[in-house]
Amino acid sequence: MPLARTYSVALIGVTGQVVEVEADIANGLVGMILVGLPDTALREARDRIRAAIVNSGEEWPQRKITVGLSPASLPKRGSWFDLAIAVGVLAAAGKVPRATAAGVMFFGELGLDGRLRPVRGVLPAVVEAASKGFGKVMVAEQNAAEAALVPGVRVIAASSLTQAADWLRGLPGRDGGPAAAEFEGGQDLPGHGAPDDPDGSTGGSSGRSPAGRIQVAGRGRAMIPDLAEMLGQSMARRAAEVCAAGGHHLSLLGPPGAGKTMLAERIPTILPRLDRAAALEVTAIHSVAGTLPAQVPLLADPPFLAPHHTATKAAIVGGGSGVIRPGSASLAHRGVLFLDEAPEFARDVLDALRQPLEAGEVVVARSGVTTSFPARFTLVLASNPCPCARAAGPAEGCSCSPSTRRRYLGRISGPLLDRVDVKIELEPVSRKELLSDRNFSESSRTVALRVIQARERAAHRLRGTPWRLNGEVPGSELRRTWPPAPGSLAVLERSLERGLVTARGVVKVIRVAWTLADLAGRPRPTGDDCDAALGLWLGVRR
Amino acid sequence: MSRAGSPVKLSEEKLARAALTYLAEPGDPALGALLGICEPAEVLAAIKADLLPGIGPGCGDSPASRVALERALGRWRVRLPELPDADGIAGACRDGIGLICPGDAEWPSALDQLGQARPYALWLRGNADLRFACLRSVSMVGSRAATGYGGHVAREIAADLAERGWAIVSGGAYGIDAAAHRGALAAEGVTIAVLACGVDYPYPAGHADLFTAIAAQGLVVSEWPPGRRPARTRFLVRNRAIAALACGTVIVEAGERSGALNTARHAANLGKPLMAVPGPVTSAQSAGCHWIIREWGATCVTRAADVIEMLSPLSVPDALAPGGCSEPAYSPGSGSPGPDPVPSRDDLDADSARVLDALPARGGAGTSTIAVEAGVDLDTVLRCLGRLAGYGFIERGDGGWRLRRPGRTSDGA
Repeated sequence: MPLARTYSVALIGVTGQVVEVEADIANGLVGMILVGLPDTALREARDRIRAAIVNSGEEWPQRKITVGLSPASLPKRGSWFDLAIAVGVLAAAGKVPRATAAGVMFFGELGLDGRLRPVRGVLPAVVEAASKGFGKVMVAEQNAAEAALVPGVRVIAASSLTQAADWLRGLPGRDGGPAAAEFEGGQDLPGHGAPDDPDGSTGGSSGRSPAGRIQVAGRGRAMIPDLAEMLGQSMARRAAEVCAAGGHHLSLLGPPGAGKTMLAERIPTILPRLDRAAALEVTAIHSVAGTLPAQVPLLADPPFLAPHHTATKAAIVGGGSGVIRPGSASLAHRGVLFLDEAPEFARDVLDALRQPLEAGEVVVARSGVTTSFPARFTLVLASNPCPCARAAGPAEGCSCSPSTRRRYLGRISGPLLDRVDVKIELEPVSRKELLSDRNFSESSRTVALRVIQARERAAHRLRGTPWRLNGEVPGSELRRTWPPAPGSLAVLERSLERGLVTARGVVKVIRVAWTLADLAGRPRPTGDDCDAALGLWLGVRR
Repeated sequence: MSRAGSPVKLSEEKLARAALTYLAEPGDPALGALLGICEPAEVLAAIKADLLPGIGPGCGDSPASRVALERALGRWRVRLPELPDADGIAGACRDGIGLICPGDAEWPSALDQLGQARPYALWLRGNADLRFACLRSVSMVGSRAATGYGGHVAREIAADLAERGWAIVSGGAYGIDAAAHRGALAAEGVTIAVLACGVDYPYPAGHADLFTAIAAQGLVVSEWPPGRRPARTRFLVRNRAIAALACGTVIVEAGERSGALNTARHAANLGKPLMAVPGPVTSAQSAGCHWIIREWGATCVTRAADVIEMLSPLSVPDALAPGGCSEPAYSPGSGSPGPDPVPSRDDLDADSARVLDALPARGGAGTSTIAVEAGVDLDTVLRCLGRLAGYGFIERGDGGWRLRRPGRTSDGA
């Protein structure tokens, strides 16, 4: 029976589902039929595959070819299945061994000349293949490094359909050309050293410096931003450290030029590098979005995303009508999402962030399918005190009325601000402050070490709970299970009575006090920690 | 949130206190005295074994009190067959219902002023923090048969107070109570309903929705265990808790024999500020209010600002004496000043005093400037600035931290 099976994976968001590709060759009108909910790009595969097979010097079976993709009810999209279909057709025609073809997962788009092109989302697809027991995956050469991140999988990197077919037949490279390369996944993680590993990469630093991405400090690269450059902003530096250590969301208020963007950009430099599991999660999301830099198979640094304030809801939380793509909130997973000029963002865009802030993931529902992307990020909001964006004060030319300013900042909704534990006001630095602060400024590297230790302490305390960072613990739980040391709330309660803080603010202050205690290596917050947290909270003009 | 989750594991003391709320009526002086000298678990075991527990001052040390104690023991044993077992009590702490006991982080120490009549434990429904809510709270009660005028005034004042960060405590009844709760809810403030029945028992039934809304934004509180029905005498017992929880009590409309006057009497006995809103002198519904103004020296208030003025610690230092809303159960943090809640400059710890001295007399200064001036490190300066701001010595203004000028008030954050 001229029937052959091959396998591939369909992606829904960042989760994969194995798709079985069946190719049947029978008598009938010559032609090729594709069934199983293909979209336009996939339907075009018929013509691409025919040209690719013919141009690779193989014979196109002049009979009726039926290709079925199952599960038939799952919508399948894109050029992703080209290789699986082409191999299926060749196997059904008896040109390559059927048993070999059925034991390999295929991902790749074919050019008309038979070249194999890279596709997006290879990492999550290979993860799914490995979890379903497939030991071998064949991908385009350019996707090989990404596929090789998954342990327990043998990766076959082919550059063309010819190479793929020859590999399946067990032949060496044709005409003296190279054969398909083959290697084990999960062996080597280029550039993935421990965070405090002084000489960096273990597997050779294969170009780990993509533009726009920020390296952890102390890795010997030029132009790396450093927290020490925030001279004269000691409160802001402390706030950044607290946010990095406790996973607290941060709100920055200040006139243009005060250093809001500068501070936000430096938060990733004090975050610990991602552990392997987190790095794979982040890489999978970026793989699906197609934003993975070519030479960097694994993103081990916390991502930093700064979408422009004209971004749409779909761009921030993810969406799209055909292929559902992750938005900035997911791309910033395990990193920092920085909303500069936060009040300028559309109200519905800001409100759409409430769900991911609550749940740590984005659920996108479309008519055909519902999918979820992980989105556990540190939110950093930056706002000007008024819409005219001139420095505050009559001398600086700002003529906005108090009500205008109030309305401007009121555009950020209360429920969103409720999630923000730390707010900081940045002011243009005076000369005196600049000189005084020289004694106190610390490099990102020093702070990053404290942050790592604080995170370990928090994770140890929170073991057995769904949370890992202080910023994730709900207020009521915090108050009940982890109260600060007795007597340490005296000043805080006094401020509450005086109306300086609200009951909600108190919970945030206690949460920050825990992080301060973690940073200082104390088992639980003392009065000093609570007072310092209160100082951070009250350090904003009201 | 957390209270809605799986059943909570209760400590032995909490289980015992919870069991006592099933067995004894709140405010029972015999049980209050016993709890003063014995652990709750011992008391529970004694009731179960029908033995007289330990003897202490005012509790079994005289023949008369011994007879009273024996009688009380018999009274509590009557309900033993209905007492749920430990699993049953722990099972009651689900679906958003929780239990707090004296000594818990959430326990409002204001209740300790009730002495032997202190609640054995409190059942709660809702997510607000009771202790924090009560630190800045006003109880507002009045007639159930309120006039349009009374309802309007109660609602306005409650909404105004809630907007300025004050929690509204009331009894969840028809009339003034409901108006006060609704006003606070409308202003998105915290409001606390103290019921005379189980927190899951909506009484009056017409207020079931109101209680759900209160639980979502504030708290529904009761001394009675879940499922317990209201009874006439229970409302009077409950009133002492309403008076004790809040910093002061406002009576909006009360007839000459209104239950609200009972709450007013409790507030007066506790030494808490008592306020009344006047009405038309011809109105029978306001007769009680006028009477307490004349006879008990209640302060006449007409708007939220009047109430805040009465309760504000700066204008009425007495409100912060141990009888008021200060925290006698809490000792001040390490290195912080003595028991006086508003320390003078001389009472500050050395670091804070130096930091305060380092602030310029006019204008503001940045954090690092202050640190260098005071000769302390950044951690210390941040802690001291927090402490000084919390006490109201300094505030954040143009150009950084600056001394707070007396007389300036700042509203809630």
